[in-house]
Amino acid sequence: MSDPSVTQDLIHGGEGPAASVVSASNKPRSLWQDTWDILKRRKIFWISLTMLVLFLLMAAFPSLFTGKNPDYATLAKSMEPPSGEAWFGYDLQGRDVFARTIYGARTSIIVGVLATLLTVVLGGIAGVLAAYYARWVDSVLSRVGEIFLGVPYVLGAIIILGTIAPAQSSPDRATIMAVVIVVLAVLGWPILMRIARSSVIQAKHQDYVQAARALGAGPFRIIFKHLLPNSLAPILVYATITIGSYIGAEATLSLLGIGLREPVISWGIAIADHTSYIRTGAHAMLFPAAFLSLCVLTFVMLGEAVRDALDPKLR
Amino acid sequence: MGRYTIRRLLQLIPVLLGTTFLINYMVWQLPGDPFAGRCGQRPCPDSYVSAMRAQFGLDQPILVQYWQFLKNMLTGNLGVDFNQVPVAAQLGDAWPITIRLALLAVAIEAVIGISAGVLSGLKRGGFIDNVVTISTLFLLSLPVFVTGFLLQWLLGVQLQVITPTVSDEATITELLVPAFVLASLNMAFTARLTRTSIVENRRSDYVRTAIAKGLTNRRVVGVHLLRNSLIPVLTFLGTEVGSLMSGAIITEGIFNIHGIGGLLYRAITGQDYTIVVPIASLLVLVYLVSNLLVDLLYGVLDPRIRYE
Repeated sequence: MSDPSVTQDLIHGGEGPAASVVSASNKPRSLWQDTWDILKRRKIFWISLTMLVLFLLMAAFPSLFTGKNPDYATLAKSMEPPSGEAWFGYDLQGRDVFARTIYGARTSIIVGVLATLLTVVLGGIAGVLAAYYARWVDSVLSRVGEIFLGVPYVLGAIIILGTIAPAQSSPDRATIMAVVIVVLAVLGWPILMRIARSSVIQAKHQDYVQAARALGAGPFRIIFKHLLPNSLAPILVYATITIGSYIGAEATLSLLGIGLREPVISWGIAIADHTSYIRTGAHAMLFPAAFLSLCVLTFVMLGEAVRDALDPKLR
Repeated sequence: MGRYTIRRLLQLIPVLLGTTFLINYMVWQLPGDPFAGRCGQRPCPDSYVSAMRAQFGLDQPILVQYWQFLKNMLTGNLGVDFNQVPVAAQLGDAWPITIRLALLAVAIEAVIGISAGVLSGLKRGGFIDNVVTISTLFLLSLPVFVTGFLLQWLLGVQLQVITPTVSDEATITELLVPAFVLASLNMAFTARLTRTSIVENRRSDYVRTAIAKGLTNRRVVGVHLLRNSLIPVLTFLGTEVGSLMSGAIITEGIFNIHGIGGLLYRAITGQDYTIVVPIASLLVLVYLVSNLLVDLLYGVLDPRIRYE
């Protein structure tokens, strides 16, 4: 499953990425220039970037890909298999599976991106504060984080969502999306806090921070001008991979009936609606599942490509 | 070591209290009516609601409720659910099945994950390495339920090698495919972790010494390299036992296995919170204790690590 707690092993599999910049030539080059030089030679980076652009286009302008209305249902065509007329066939309600799959991209990407943004903000603030002020601030934040990590991810999400938005209720579109986003972020922030914390601690003892402090810079300036930009790399990599795992998590919750629900169009809901028809009409489920997996793959692949480029030691 | 164990046990207490409180709070205090839809089409009569609220202490403040919960847990009294069926009996039926499923999953991820990782780590950049890298990337991107439905459809419906759903007995052969599904994600992580660890250790001084001494390749890899490289892998496998239990919620749902996950899921959809709270707390306990055991095991496996 898309359990973000394990993704951190992906990132911290080797040494801290920020620490390992190879100086290939004599003139000083930034970490980002180096990374770009490596990235643009990697095939996997271009593949994932192309897929990302495709999915983003799908999310922004679904009508570019299909002229059909995803909500238009012809009950007589219920569960018809794929044909020339409808490439992916029809679902239980007789709606075009291809159109619904294309329109589903928007929901998944919005949920994934917003939940990740919220996670980065929450976890980033907590991590920077914990690392910068250390002492009791660190202890308190770390313990609170441990409590949230102590609840296994799926379990926590099921408990919160099962209570505030039980399967029997039918909240409106915006509400349910907001609830799912908040729940994903609330359960995911401690991992980001750990990453932010450790990379800020690493940066904190560098000479340039001491120099800034000696010149009389306040905590605000030190954090925003010096610490954050220099500890951004691992956070960025983690965030990219997290978008993917959140998209998977959203689908899982929708599958369980406690995440998104009609009238929202999402891959998770499409899969959930047709699980009982696996014998007679697997197409209504397999196509959304394939798109879902490809979308998750895109973000994971992109994140890994960037990570490998940031940390050449791993290759 | 003794002092470290005690300190870790003491640290476990606040986290355990925090998580169980969080679970209690989320279940009982967040908006939502536990008795909505419990009496069929019409709303429940006030007499029923007030009797139930009194029986389960819902009319008490949250702290009193939590205290009552702790007392019940410590005395091993799991109480009854909203239908007055003892929770302990339901748990007793479901527990062995989930344990079997989780152990099978750990065995699968250990065997396949470690061998794939070792093979790809020893021949870095080789054919096997590329295959493992790509297939782990795919496994990491497939949500568990997609793997589950895919295998159920492919093996159960199309090829008919397995029965798509598991019977009540849940024998080992029946659980093989579900366990594989449950293990799939961690298998990929295990393979990658093993690979990184092998690659790192191959450059280490002790391996060079062993080769220089003229030991056979088999001995260098089997005794010197593997033993040291597998330490982080073992700890990963241990830590993940706890999360496997909650991952079982989805796998058990797909294959209709009557284990803890299925029980928990039915309780949540049926809004029977009296089952949700003790089971969720138990899962958290398993998770935290397995983490602790793994940390202690680390010191035993790797004498270079000193506590205190």
